[in-house]
Amino acid sequence: MPVNFKFGMPVAHSMDGRIAVIVPAYNEEKTIGQVVKAIKELGKRYDPIVIDDSSSDLTAVVAESEGGIVIRLPYNLGIGGAVQTGFKYALLNKYDACVQADGDGQHPTKEIPKLVKPLVEEGYDIVIGSRFVSDTDYDISLMRNIGIKMISLFLRIGAGMCVKDPTSGFRAISRKAMAVFAVEYPQDYPEPEALIFAHKYGFRVKEISIKMYNRMHGTSSITPLKAGYYMVKVLLAMFIDLFKKM
Amino acid sequence: MMLQIQIIVGLISLAFFLATFEFIRKRFLREEYAILWLLTSLAIAVLSLWPGLVPIISKLTGFYYLTAVVGIIFVFLIALLMHYSIVISKVKEVNKELIQRYALLERKVTEIELKRGGGDSEQQKV
Repeated sequence: MPVNFKFGMPVAHSMDGRIAVIVPAYNEEKTIGQVVKAIKELGKRYDPIVIDDSSSDLTAVVAESEGGIVIRLPYNLGIGGAVQTGFKYALLNKYDACVQADGDGQHPTKEIPKLVKPLVEEGYDIVIGSRFVSDTDYDISLMRNIGIKMISLFLRIGAGMCVKDPTSGFRAISRKAMAVFAVEYPQDYPEPEALIFAHKYGFRVKEISIKMYNRMHGTSSITPLKAGYYMVKVLLAMFIDLFKKM
Repeated sequence: MMLQIQIIVGLISLAFFLATFEFIRKRFLREEYAILWLLTSLAIAVLSLWPGLVPIISKLTGFYYLTAVVGIIFVFLIALLMHYSIVISKVKEVNKELIQRYALLERKVTEIELKRGGGDSEQQKV
């Protein structure tokens, strides 16, 4: 496999590098099968890696039967710890890059190659699939929208980073960033906080427009009511991250 | 009146001491905490058995009022809680690391078993 060494880490050089698609899943037996299947349909270079965050339903069984690589956490770690397990697995198994996607079917898996492209061709470290870069008809509550705008503003002021959808969990990550995140990854609000980490490590971040689906089953972990509280906690966590020793 | 307080405080310190001792014996407490609580119960015991010590301490430190004493105890408790927060954070981090390593190792074992041609390991686990 052709690799070049950028910043001392092997970076996928051409489009044939192996990509780990990390899918953190907690009680998603209804949707996980479809997600795994869709990832497998993308081609041989994409491996669906399902991190079963100690689900009480058949998430792991369904994912396994569809041919996914399943890693089962014996206790619930939350999204941050689950995704980080995926980074560790991808690093140990020498994947060239990874993609993070939700197990609830909100993220359009067929857009994954579009997400990976800037990593390979333009040398970016993190590519975020955004709902807001150009007009998409993704339905979102007002309070949540304000929260996302505030986090976005904080990123611009605190880190000089222009990201319109910092809470999006649909992103591609280079091997270089993966190596850092495998050791150090935020646990509570990993998506926006990871961008502060990225800023501190000098990673190059790009945002591209992705049309997302509304949820097939279940409800979002962030209800409109909780959005305000979430925003305050995230901003506080991000503020503290700015001062963390890394 | 003074004697009553002395007896009550004395009993409290005795109960405290016995509880600490019992927890150490049952290994509920690690040594570093055991020592802390033994010293605390000892301090209460000394103060209750030797009331004359209180004015001496007051003279030495300038704390003549009960509120000041309560203040000191409060600071002590805050420091203790802070210490526990740090310990819990550390334990959580170590725990997370262990859970992740366990899961990754389990996956590795599954992969090795699959490579060996067993193939039935997946079924066994389900």
